[in-house]
Amino acid sequence: MRAVWIALALAAAGLVFWMPLYVLYVANLLLMYAVLALGLDILVGLAGQFAFAHMAFFGIGVYTTGLLGNRLGVSFPLPMLAGAALAAIVALLIAIPALRLRQVYLALTTFAFAAAAQWVFHSWDAVTEGSNGLRLAATRVLAWRIVDDRDAYPLLLVVALAMVLLRLSLQSSKLGRSMRALHQSEPLALASGIDARRVKIVAFGISGLFAGIAGGMLPLFNSYVHPDTFGLEGLVAILTMIVVGGLGSTFGVLIGVALIGLLPEVMRDLQVLREVVYGGLLILTVMFLPQGVAGAWRPARA
Amino acid sequence: MDTLLQAFEGGVVTGSVYALIALSLVIVYKSTDVINFAGGDILMASCYIALVLLVGWGAPYWLAALVAILGGFVIGAGFDRLVLERIARRARGQDIMIAAVIATIGLSYVLKGLVRMLGYADEVRSLPAQFPGRPLFLGNVIVLRQDIGIVLAASLAVAALYLFFRFTKLGRGLRATAEDPRAAALIGIPVARMRMVIWGIASALAAIAGLLVAPKILMTPDMGIIVILALAASVLGGFTNIPGVIAGGLLLGILENLIGLFVSTQAIAVAPFLVIMAVLVLRPQGLFAGAARMKKV
Repeated sequence: MRAVWIALALAAAGLVFWMPLYVLYVANLLLMYAVLALGLDILVGLAGQFAFAHMAFFGIGVYTTGLLGNRLGVSFPLPMLAGAALAAIVALLIAIPALRLRQVYLALTTFAFAAAAQWVFHSWDAVTEGSNGLRLAATRVLAWRIVDDRDAYPLLLVVALAMVLLRLSLQSSKLGRSMRALHQSEPLALASGIDARRVKIVAFGISGLFAGIAGGMLPLFNSYVHPDTFGLEGLVAILTMIVVGGLGSTFGVLIGVALIGLLPEVMRDLQVLREVVYGGLLILTVMFLPQGVAGAWRPARA
Repeated sequence: MDTLLQAFEGGVVTGSVYALIALSLVIVYKSTDVINFAGGDILMASCYIALVLLVGWGAPYWLAALVAILGGFVIGAGFDRLVLERIARRARGQDIMIAAVIATIGLSYVLKGLVRMLGYADEVRSLPAQFPGRPLFLGNVIVLRQDIGIVLAASLAVAALYLFFRFTKLGRGLRATAEDPRAAALIGIPVARMRMVIWGIASALAAIAGLLVAPKILMTPDMGIIVILALAASVLGGFTNIPGVIAGGLLLGILENLIGLFVSTQAIAVAPFLVIMAVLVLRPQGLFAGAARMKKV
């Protein structure tokens, strides 16, 4: 049964390739959001760490990838991997002091870090072009230049699939189970021999890696990036995706990305309602569907 | 020297507003363990309530201010009653906190969106000053009458709050609820209603802060971002120590002005975040508390 669903999803993903360019742009956006949201959910949904620095790691990925492509003309996927590595390293460094803090304090510190990072993106004119935004050169794959969304789509699809597989294997690994244990109860996890500190730091690093990869995906189908992309609004969007979809569930997060990611397209004529709808969905979900859409779909796991 | 004193004056004025907002965050945190990320937006919504009454309906100022403060109370108390109470009943442990914070982020967005739909948000506006008149001069330092009014009104609000919590029966019930909800419930205090009242009072306090500061700053639906400064002030004060939080607000206001004077006005924007990070990592109990204590599980 499951295999049928996966086959259908892959077939649909293949069909998108022949759709109009606008559809491809939206599909590309959703693929990027999927990687970004899966990464945030590793920290929040799996490990239960309420951290808000995700957009900073995403930004590091975007700027590293973009600058390597712009200035050195390095071929895909090297700039993306470099961006992901840098994002993961910064995430690990942030994790070390952040781990002294718990819950709301962790949320505040990481939130402050994200805001400070956005300020750097805004102010470091020499590197990021500041508030003028950075023009991104067309990505090169060896001798081939990616010029439109149709070119970018297959690459983004492959990257996103690889990240989904990585996330699934993480969830079923010992590390993934340790994260869940930590989420359930830290004292209990410690008592059963889990090195809570190490698991948290690794969760931060992997989450940063996902954000960095998502950052590397952006220059493939965008020719311009502005520091405002990495603000609170972006964070609330991906937070809404994982909360509405279902924290800690890969399937749920992907559903959430599709639902929330398509909202702005569906509500094209109702832009004024955007904030009310996002906010209202967040409130209604935590009130009535604590496990998200995925939790309503099938009974919650024990 | 004069510029320094002027910066100091400006710092005390904005600092007392930060202290007021910070107080509103802290009394909510103390009694419900929730950081209210929508605190700034409740402030913003209250200011727009006043604006609609003043501009749209031609109401007198005192009435507009009163309705705005009541409006703040209703938003806060209503959010607790309709949303947070339900979350507390369904989720458990750490998940309550996460769900509640997510709900406050949702509230922040809903309020911003609703205000944008009002039709008063298209142009930048300001509320009238409560204390107009020619500025005073202390030596070469210019002191607006509004500045004196802000500091006095903020002090008055804090004093009233103190007396209320200390000497009234309701105030004591609220403190007991914050201290130990289970014990409070055992001696017959209606804990859920107390939480609702706390949310209401805290939000009314934010509304007062908004009315005081709105004549000095530009009003936009995004003005709720001022909550960041209140968060930084709360962190400076250790988040639960009320005198510390007030001192933190003043300190932050002054610090902000000094940074503007000696570093750059651009650096003002990032200062509160650096303060939050530095204090939480190096001295999470705040600047004014004693040694850190472990909270019992």
